[in-house]
Amino acid sequence: MEIRDLSDKTGEWLRGTGKESDIVISSRIRLARNITGYPFLSRSNLKQRKEIEFLLRNTIIESSIAQDISYVNLNNATSVDKLFLVERHLISKEHAAGEGERGVAFGKSETISLMINEEDHLRIQVIHSGFELNDTWETTDEIDNILGKRLNFAFSARFGYLTACPTNVGTGMRVSVMLHLPALGMTKHIEKVFNAVGKLGLVVRGLYGEGTKVSGDLYQISNQFALGKSEKEIISIIESVIPRITSYERMARKALVLESKDQLEDRIWRSYGMLKAARMITSEEILQLLSQVRMGVNIGLIDNIEIQTLNELFVLTLPGHLQKLQGCELDSTQRNIIRASYVRKRLEGL
Amino acid sequence: MKCESCNKKLATVHLTEIVENEKKERHFCEDCAQNVTNHFPKAPSPSDILTSLINQVSPEIREMSKMTCPVCGLSYLEFRSQGRLGCPMDYNVFKKGLLPLIERMHGSSQHVGKVPPNAGAEIIKKNEMIQLRKELNEAVEKEDYERAAELRDKIYELSGNVEDGD
Repeated sequence: MEIRDLSDKTGEWLRGTGKESDIVISSRIRLARNITGYPFLSRSNLKQRKEIEFLLRNTIIESSIAQDISYVNLNNATSVDKLFLVERHLISKEHAAGEGERGVAFGKSETISLMINEEDHLRIQVIHSGFELNDTWETTDEIDNILGKRLNFAFSARFGYLTACPTNVGTGMRVSVMLHLPALGMTKHIEKVFNAVGKLGLVVRGLYGEGTKVSGDLYQISNQFALGKSEKEIISIIESVIPRITSYERMARKALVLESKDQLEDRIWRSYGMLKAARMITSEEILQLLSQVRMGVNIGLIDNIEIQTLNELFVLTLPGHLQKLQGCELDSTQRNIIRASYVRKRLEGL
Repeated sequence: MKCESCNKKLATVHLTEIVENEKKERHFCEDCAQNVTNHFPKAPSPSDILTSLINQVSPEIREMSKMTCPVCGLSYLEFRSQGRLGCPMDYNVFKKGLLPLIERMHGSSQHVGKVPPNAGAEIIKKNEMIQLRKELNEAVEKEDYERAAELRDKIYELSGNVEDGD
């Protein structure tokens, strides 16, 4: 399959289905694994890197983990292709920016992605739409078991799964839940969420993980510790926190409707109008507009757009996607024009 | 200008000495300068400065700073500056330095989660023991003595042929 074939579709995790999907965009779990007998990547030579890539790629393809697995060799992928895969959450920014033999295998529904030679030899990632951590863990665990029978993962009884960075050692697990929190952002209550979450050893990040800024009121909550607690314990900590944040967001929305209904509605309708009429929209602006309109749909103000359409537009209007869709490299002005016309088309067809 | 010491070679090293508030310029060739400057106190090298700084901040690093992993060749200092380990063996080789770091990061240094499906029976059993002990502690904390007794029996049963510790 060609990456091009994906450019006007999105992965299943953007469907807007699953529990609490008005606020919870997606639930994601990733596991870090390394193969015994090889150094970690920073100390591997070219030959070892190649061997690891070959071994993992073959094992993944042979064990038919997911339907119609595609494999992309990142070593000779174009920068637009890499950007595209980052935007789709199929690879991390670090994986795109890396060097040498490395790649990614992903299933047709894009629920499963296996990164080879990222920071660790293998990163198993599973994403589901909505607040569905248990299903996500079941799939992750299953893949890990299938691969763990065929490969020898570096492991010690004391420290668990051994990883290149000691922040991941133990379970090698990071759980991330992506939330859309426009009302908490607007009312500045989001700071309180950050503080409370920090006390539980959790951390809040932007849309694209570590070191990325928050845009479109999208936040990722994830665990910082990976050792000393079992996978299920880590999941249950996050699982207990998320409903509190979502109900806090709902309260903030209700308060906004009660206290400043006119301003709120004006803001949402203006954003909707911009999306339907603007001729040039920057990538920063569109996230804000989509965020407002998404909240408009959630509070019942706008009823002719599907949440799925909005979720997808968050990704489909990103620079890599627009360039892939257009089939050529575009400068930022060209992207702004095409972005605006693409959104108009998607919203006019309603 | 000729060297003021041997009076043969060209003077290429020029020193300014200040003795009792009096400035004195001296000119040497490279060979003679070597002899003269040896008497001056040597300026510390950057790595000396770094080591002394580290010694002040973290005594654990002083002890570990000379260690290098025999498998991947990574030194402990390289790890501390890059934050990434070189191979699985590093967890053993640098254990002493890593333990406090890992404790700080995770609030624990004992894995209680999943074990690879093809791990040796020993490891699987050991892990089960750790999990049981943890549950036992929790049960005692909650004053659920019935559950605690159950767990204790299980631990006794298992511990028959597993050595304790790491």
